[in-house]
Amino acid sequence: MKSLRLLVAAHRLCAGLRHLPAVEPHVARSQLLRAVHTSSSPGPPVNTPPSNTVAPFDDAFAKDQRDKASFIQVLDLFCGRDVRRRGHIELIEAALRWMPQFGVEKDLEVYNKLLDVFPKEVFVPRNFIQTLFLHYPRQQECAVRILDQMEFYGVTPNKHTYFLLVQTFGKLSHPVKKYQRMLYWFPRFKHTNPYPVPLDLQADPVALSRVCLERIAADRDARVTVYQLPCTEVCDDGTVQEHSHLVGIQSPDQISLLAEHDTKYPVIVEGPFPLWLKKTCVQYYVLRAEPGAKKKEEMDPERSLYYPLSLDLDLERDLAEDFTFDVDEVEEGQVYAMCMAGSGDERTLGKWINCLQESNPILGQLPVLFRLTSGPREVSLPVQEEDGESHKKEEARESSAEEDEEETRQNRRMEQ
Amino acid sequence: MTIFSSVSHKTMLEKIYCTLFQGAISFNGALVGGRVPLIVRLEGFSSDLTSTVHNSPVYCRCRAELGDPIMLWAGVLEAGGRSASADMKDFIVNVEVRTQGFVLLCSCDLHFQEEVFPYPEISNEELEEINQLVGPVEKFFSEEVDSKAIDQSAKIPPETLKGLKDLGLFGMQIPEEYGGLGLSNTMYARLGEITSLDGAIAVTLAAHQAIGLKGILIAGNDQQKAKYLPKLASGEHIAAFCLTEPGSGSDAASIKSRATLSEDGKHYILNGSKIWISNGGLAEIFTVFARTEVVDKDGTTKDKITAFIVERAFGGVTHGKPEDKLGIRGSNTCELHFENTKIPIENVIGEVGGGFKVAMNILNSGRFSMGSASAGMIKKLIEMSAEYACTRKQFNKKLSDFELIQEKFALMAQKAYVMESMAYLTAGMMDRPGFPDCSVEAAMVKVFSSEGAWQCVSEALQILGGLGYMKDYPYERYLRDSRILLIFEGTNEILRMYIALTGMQHAGKILTGKIKELKKGSLSVAFEMIGKRLGSSLGRKINLGLTGKDGVVHPSLEESTKKLEENTYYFGSTVESLLYRFGKTVVDEQLALKRVADILINLYAMTAVISRASRSISIGLRNHDHEVLLANLFCSEAYHKNCFMLAQLGKYSPANQDDSIKKIAKHVLESRAYTCSHPLDRTF
Repeated sequence: MKSLRLLVAAHRLCAGLRHLPAVEPHVARSQLLRAVHTSSSPGPPVNTPPSNTVAPFDDAFAKDQRDKASFIQVLDLFCGRDVRRRGHIELIEAALRWMPQFGVEKDLEVYNKLLDVFPKEVFVPRNFIQTLFLHYPRQQECAVRILDQMEFYGVTPNKHTYFLLVQTFGKLSHPVKKYQRMLYWFPRFKHTNPYPVPLDLQADPVALSRVCLERIAADRDARVTVYQLPCTEVCDDGTVQEHSHLVGIQSPDQISLLAEHDTKYPVIVEGPFPLWLKKTCVQYYVLRAEPGAKKKEEMDPERSLYYPLSLDLDLERDLAEDFTFDVDEVEEGQVYAMCMAGSGDERTLGKWINCLQESNPILGQLPVLFRLTSGPREVSLPVQEEDGESHKKEEARESSAEEDEEETRQNRRMEQ
Repeated sequence: MTIFSSVSHKTMLEKIYCTLFQGAISFNGALVGGRVPLIVRLEGFSSDLTSTVHNSPVYCRCRAELGDPIMLWAGVLEAGGRSASADMKDFIVNVEVRTQGFVLLCSCDLHFQEEVFPYPEISNEELEEINQLVGPVEKFFSEEVDSKAIDQSAKIPPETLKGLKDLGLFGMQIPEEYGGLGLSNTMYARLGEITSLDGAIAVTLAAHQAIGLKGILIAGNDQQKAKYLPKLASGEHIAAFCLTEPGSGSDAASIKSRATLSEDGKHYILNGSKIWISNGGLAEIFTVFARTEVVDKDGTTKDKITAFIVERAFGGVTHGKPEDKLGIRGSNTCELHFENTKIPIENVIGEVGGGFKVAMNILNSGRFSMGSASAGMIKKLIEMSAEYACTRKQFNKKLSDFELIQEKFALMAQKAYVMESMAYLTAGMMDRPGFPDCSVEAAMVKVFSSEGAWQCVSEALQILGGLGYMKDYPYERYLRDSRILLIFEGTNEILRMYIALTGMQHAGKILTGKIKELKKGSLSVAFEMIGKRLGSSLGRKINLGLTGKDGVVHPSLEESTKKLEENTYYFGSTVESLLYRFGKTVVDEQLALKRVADILINLYAMTAVISRASRSISIGLRNHDHEVLLANLFCSEAYHKNCFMLAQLGKYSPANQDDSIKKIAKHVLESRAYTCSHPLDRTF
C-alpha cells in the first residue's frame, strides 16, 4: 500500500515538476524500459522536444561561439545558479540536442559533465521497494538517455561515469545497469572491424581517393599515383577548363599480369562502382580483362634445379579433398588497375589509360573499351538531416496541443 | 612378376647375356615402360646347379632398356656366393625386375634387403690405402692449419693451400690417369671427415671438386678432361661452380646470363653476372651456366641452359670483393661478372641446351659427403667437450656426473653414429658397379646430417656454458660454420621436397593402376585393401624377412628391425592413401610432403644403423655392444617419431594441425607483421 502511495506521489511529483501531462511519464517509462531491455532502433536517440512545447534552455545554447569551452560554460552557469538544480532534466535534454552543433558529441568528458548536473544522492533509493520500482523515473530516464547518446556515438563510459551514476542513482538503478551493459559490449565490439575506416576522413579529394584506393586494393605493394591534381586552366580562347583529380593504383602483380595479357582480347574500363566510407560515398573505376582472357600457362619441365615441380602421374585429386569448388565463385576478369576521378567522363579516364601506359607499355597495343554507366545514385538523402532541419524550424514555433505531440512522436518513430 | 627368358651362356666367368622379352615389363601389375634402371634377380636352373642357385638367388644390378641385353658381372655372381661354372648348360634365367634405389623400394613396400644388407665393405687393400692417406692429412690438419686465424683474417693462407695441394686433396676423385687420387666415393667420404675440421677449407675443397670440376668429370668429353683435369687435380687451377644469379636460386627460369654464338660459329660470347660463387676470387676454371638459343626439333628457337667451361684467361671475367659471411669465413665467396667472354665451342659441357641436366647431376652427386664431414666434426667436438666436462667441477661434482650433461653426450654420440652409418652406406651403394642413382639417398644424408650437426654443435657449446660463447674457444666458430650446412647445396626444405616427391613419383607409378581401380569402384581391389588393413590392425605380424632364421640382421637388433619393418609397412599404406587423396596435386601439399620426407629419412637412417650395427656385431668389431646400444636407442626414438608423423598424415587426424598452421601464417603474411595486441593493451 505504501509503495502504491509512493508511486502515486512520484507521479504527481513528476507531473508537477515538469510542464508535461501525467501520461507522459507512463509512455516514457515503457520507452525507457524498452531502451534498457532491447536494443534501440538504429539512428540517433530521440531527444527532440515536442514541436509544440517550449524548449527551455535552448536559448542558452543558441550562441555564436560553439565549442567545448562554451558548452561547459553553459553547464557550469546552470550548476552555479541554483543549489537545487531546478529544471536540470530540461537542461540536460537541451544539452544533448545541442551537442553535435558544439562538436562535443564524442567527448566523454562532456558527458560526464552532463551527468554531473544531476543533484547528488537525492535520487538514491533508500529501501528495497524503492529499488524494485522505478525510483525517480524521469531522472533515471534522462540519465539513460545520456548513456544512449553516448552509445550512439560510440563513446565508452569510464570509471568517473560510474562514480557519478552511483552517486546520483545508487548501484541498483537503471542507468547503472545500462552503464554495465555498455561496458560489457563496447570493448568486445571495439575491434570487430578488421578494416577500420579512419576516424577523420579527409576532405581533400586526392587524399580521400588515396585512402579509398588503398582500402580496395588490399595489396601492400600497390602504388598509388596521382595523375592529376584538381585545378582550373584558362585556355587561349578564354574558356575555362576544369581539371578534376585523377588518382590511380596498381600493384607490381597487376603490372606483370597486364604485361601477359593476350593482345587478342581488349581491356575494359568499367565503372563507376560505389564505395561507402561511413557516410561518404565515393566512386571508382577499374581496368580489367574479360573473363576467360587468361593465357594458358605452360610449366617448363627444366625449371626447378632441385625438385620436380609436377609429378608425372595419371591420378587426379580425390573429390573429397577438393575444396576449390564454391557456389559463390564466379569467374571474373583480372583487374589490372583502379582509379578514382572527379569526373567519370571518357576524357579523364582516357588520360588515366595514357598515364598507365608509361608503366604498362602493352596498353599501347591493346584496344580499350569504355563501359561506363551513369553510376549508382543515392536513393534518398539520409532522413535524419532533413528531419533535424524541419524540426529546428518547428522548434521556433510554439504549440501546446498534447495529442499532436503524441502523434508526432509516433510518426517520428515510424519514420526511423 | 617374372619374365622368363632363356639365356645362351657364353663365357660364364666374365659375362652372362640375357634378353628381356620385347614389349613392356610388367611390374606389380603396373606398366613400366621406357628406360628404367633395373635390378635383375637371377635364378638359375640347370642340371647341376639347380639346388644351389635356386635356393639362394643371385642379385645383380644393371641399367637396361627394353630389349637390351642385360650384362651381369661375374664378380657380382661370385659375391653372391656362387662361382659360376663353365659347364652350366641350358641356363634359364628367372628375371625379376625391380626399380632401383632404397626409396623406391620402400615406398612401395617391398623387400629391400639386397640393397643395404649387408653393410657395404671395402677390401683390405683399399682400407690400407685410405689409412695411408688419412694419416698425413690428419697430421696436417692438427699441426699446420690454424682455423682461428683463418676465421679471423677471412683468408686461407697460401702456405696452407699449398699444403693441401701437396697432399693431393684438390684431386681426390679425379682418376689417377689425370693425376688425381682416383678415390672411390667411400674413400672420399673418409677424407671428408678430416677436411671438415676446418669449415672454410672443407667448403673450398668441396666447391672445387664436389661441384666446381664435377661437370667436366661426369659430363665432359675426353679432350676436355685431358685438358683441364690434370691442372685441377694438382691444385694449380682451382675450379668454381657458377649457377646462382641475383634473381635465381633454385629457379632455373630466372637465369639471365646469356651466351650467344659468334658470327663465325666458333665461339660463344658470354655476358651476365653470378653471385655467391664459392672460390670465385681464387678460381681459374669456372663451370658456368647460361642461356643459349637452341633450335628445337620442330624448328622453333628456344632458350635453353648450357654448361660451359670458362677459363679466367678467356678475358672479361671480373670478380667483386669477397663477401663478409657469418661462418666459413675463410672460404672465398664473391660475385662474378662476365663481359663478352669468348668461349670456344669445344668448351660446352655435354650438349648445347643440355645444361639443366648437367647442373642437376652435379648438384645431386655432390651431397653425399656431407654426412661423413658432419660426423667428423661432431666426433672432434665430443672429444673437446668431454675433456672439459670431465675436468670442470661444480658443487664438488664433475660436470660429467650431471645427468643433463650426460644426455648431451649421448645425443652427440647417437647423431654421429647415425650420420656415419648413413654416409658410408650411401657411399658404398654409389661405389657399386653401374653408377646407381643414389641422389635421393644423398639428399637424405645431407638433410639429416646438416640438422644433426647444427643441433650437436649447439649442445656442445651448451656444455661449456658461457665459455662456449667466447671467441677464445672454437665452439662458436663451429656453430657459425655449421649453419651453412642447412642452406647450401639445396636448402633442407627444398631437399625434403625432392626426397618426398621422388618417392611419391615412383610409388605413384606402381600404384596408379590399383588406385584407379579403387576409384572406379572395383570391389575386388577394395576388399583386398580392406582385408589388408583389417589384417594388419588385428595384429598380423608384419614381416619383411629381415629377421628370423633366414634374416640378415643380428638377433640383438631384432626389436629395432621389427620397428623398422612396421614403420615401413604402414608408411607404404600411408603413401598409398596420400596418392589416393591428392593424386598428382600432392606436389602442393608441402606440409604432408615434409612428413613423408622426414619419415623416409628416418627409415633410411634406421636401416643404415641396423645394417651397420649388425655387421659390426657379426664380425666382432671393437665396442660393438656400444654400437648396438646406439642403434637401438636411435631406432626406438625414430620409431616413435615416425608413428606420430604417420598418424599426422592420416585424414581427420587430431594430431594434424596443418589447417591452423596455414591460417596463422596466412594472417601474419597478409599483414606482414605480428598482429596480436600487446599484453598491456586495454579496450576501456
